[in-house]
Amino acid sequence: MESPSDLAPKDPVGALLDADISSLQAQISSLKSLRSIQASTILTSQTSQTILARLRASQRAPLPSTPLDASPFLQTASKHLTQSKENLYRICASITTFRLQDPDPNAVDGGRVLGIRFDVSSAGRFARPYYVMLNKPFADKELLRVHRHTVPPCIPLAALAARYLPVTKCDSGDHGKDKVTQDLGRFVRALRRQIVGYQNRTSVIKSLRREFKLDEGRQSGKKGKEREKVIVDISAADAEAKQVRIEWVDGRVGRCVVGDTGNVEKCVVIGEQGRDWEVERRIIGVEKGEPSMSGIGERLKEGIY
Amino acid sequence: MPLSIPTTSALPPSQFLSATHPTVHKTLSRLSRPSLLSLALDWLDEKNEDTGLTTPYLLPSSSPSSALPSPDPDDAYPPCTSLSELREIYTDLQARKGSKRDVLDRILEGDWRAGISLYQLAMADMQYLYDHPSSQKWSALKIVPLAASDGAEPGTTSKSKVKEKDDASSTKIPRFHPATFLRNLQRESLPDVKAHYNLDRHADLPLWILRVWIIDSPYDTNLALTSSKSNPNSLSFDASKTFYIAFPDAAPPRERYSLERTALSAKNLGALCERRGGGRENAAGGGWGVYCADGEGAGGGKTRDNPLNSMVDAREEKEKGEKEGRLDGEAIDRGMKRRREEDPRMMKRRKVLAQGRFGNSAMRDDGLGIERLDVRLEDKFPDVNLFAEINVDNSRDNQSDKKKRRGRRSAVDMELEKAREDEGEDTEGWRPDVRITFQGTHVFAGVRELVEAGVVDGERMPGWMTGEEGVSIGVVKEGRIVGWKGSGVS
Repeated sequence: MESPSDLAPKDPVGALLDADISSLQAQISSLKSLRSIQASTILTSQTSQTILARLRASQRAPLPSTPLDASPFLQTASKHLTQSKENLYRICASITTFRLQDPDPNAVDGGRVLGIRFDVSSAGRFARPYYVMLNKPFADKELLRVHRHTVPPCIPLAALAARYLPVTKCDSGDHGKDKVTQDLGRFVRALRRQIVGYQNRTSVIKSLRREFKLDEGRQSGKKGKEREKVIVDISAADAEAKQVRIEWVDGRVGRCVVGDTGNVEKCVVIGEQGRDWEVERRIIGVEKGEPSMSGIGERLKEGIY
Repeated sequence: MPLSIPTTSALPPSQFLSATHPTVHKTLSRLSRPSLLSLALDWLDEKNEDTGLTTPYLLPSSSPSSALPSPDPDDAYPPCTSLSELREIYTDLQARKGSKRDVLDRILEGDWRAGISLYQLAMADMQYLYDHPSSQKWSALKIVPLAASDGAEPGTTSKSKVKEKDDASSTKIPRFHPATFLRNLQRESLPDVKAHYNLDRHADLPLWILRVWIIDSPYDTNLALTSSKSNPNSLSFDASKTFYIAFPDAAPPRERYSLERTALSAKNLGALCERRGGGRENAAGGGWGVYCADGEGAGGGKTRDNPLNSMVDAREEKEKGEKEGRLDGEAIDRGMKRRREEDPRMMKRRKVLAQGRFGNSAMRDDGLGIERLDVRLEDKFPDVNLFAEINVDNSRDNQSDKKKRRGRRSAVDMELEKAREDEGEDTEGWRPDVRITFQGTHVFAGVRELVEAGVVDGERMPGWMTGEEGVSIGVVKEGRIVGWKGSGVS
């Protein structure tokens, strides 16, 4: 009988302490990350690099046998510099390569693997990078093969690899010569184009949802008074996000097909009274001449308000 | 009574089965009490009210109550007058304790005494599937485009055609349209069987599950579901079959497609979703998973692997795979016969090693375990001249090999045959017939724990033991699974 009454007053205090602890912990981790950002900024700055270079020169003189960057401080500094260089390449080139070792002891070609990293940004932030790992499974040939990858199935990696990195053996080839030409450069470019297109389409759908306030939920119900909700849902209708489904409050449903370049190619809007040609024309953007997918929201709004 | 003529159409979901039907009883009595109650509340839900497929037995409310015949005093479950009243009753039952029997009786003898529709039956069956996720064994199939050239001969085996898909049109990603799929599936079914289809959204996984229930009857009316006159109680749909098809979201049909085996089957639908779903993990299993891992929030930033992230420590941690496994030492000792006295440094080293090989996969509690891994080793016997009787063994092995051929072919054998066709068999050297089967609740988590405990050498362990190939059955040659089944581009 008394146990619940005993527990009752304790609970709020405990909860308060728990909240305090977790907020302090969050503060600690954010300060820690701030510190490491500052450290790396200081270490990689131009001025500190010149100081470090001088330091390095002075250290190397007395003992030639000691390895370069013997002191942990210098080691850390060069590590930071490498990383900031790598980051710079990744930001600017967006396709970067690296070597890695396959942990499988039975891996082909001694476990040597070429990693290709795709850093794709959209809407002001970088997405999680996509990786493609290549190896050389054929002993005496220089042919590459996709070993592992983190590309989602909605991107036709297999088809691109078959087109640009063929590994077909000579027996099945219709042409007599056993020379198979691979073009890694074109493969990587074509793949990046697909990835960027996919990323852009999904982010456009996301921003359309934001534009029509579809994700705000109920908590801001009182604020969104000024404009009545007209569109209930905008979502991707297929894996590639090449088809966009739009649903209106009055039950009209539309679907538009987006091409590789991000332009709206086709659109159908159907309501209870049949096709809504007016809105269809608006979405395809006949008047504007530039039917980009990102402009759908703008063109729709013109019609509504 | 409606006219019953043999047709090829599907069974309508509104078709009723009598409440005393053995199939109804069997399906419902498999469910637990809470599941039964939640199912009944689902049937009473407003969403289902309009469909008229789950309507309970109610007293007609429109007519004045005085005109009604007085309720049968012997009726244990007097009918209610409205859905909301019924909802209340079932919600009350949820709060109260009681036996499953009571609820089952109330449903079958009371509120749904008029009968249970096929739609309701499908709902009950799906409920059972969700309650017992490992009650079915699932096989992963790949949707591959059919090459345009095979249009002339649709009857031939599609093995060779499927392999060649490097034409330009194949960059199209197949899209799945449930209605089209169902219509085509229905068209393929023969007129002497009838099926009921029900498409349902999985509660937790990004999946659509299609339940197909087939019975042996040419009719799509009551006649298919009522027992014959001569033997009124015998009909229990012995010939009925239920199977399920699950489609992951973002699953890669408009053109013609065929399905191909991918050598992965497991009871755990979650594991299948992870390895053959719409995400990034399909061809980056095991230790490679770190490349598709979401950055944890601990680093402050949203994603660690990001060119705008200048923190060195975070990236290093990822690359070396030095993140401590979530398993503590206690968990590893569990189940081992004696405690080994361990050098903590060695333990740490092995953990780091396991982290490097398995990444963040194969954790005991990740719920993504497969229950069986079949592997057949096809490697040449190592060239060691230690035993003179190797030649004798060789002939014996050939004999046993022949003997086995005569018996039932196992799945591993079939897989092997396929591999042979693909690669061409090389016969030189003695290749003993070694098969290994791993069984357990989570095979790869078990292997990981063995590595962490030092039983399995983490450095020399072959890659397929980490699960990175994403197959549950395979043939190993040169230490690798033949055919790049789950990895890379197959």
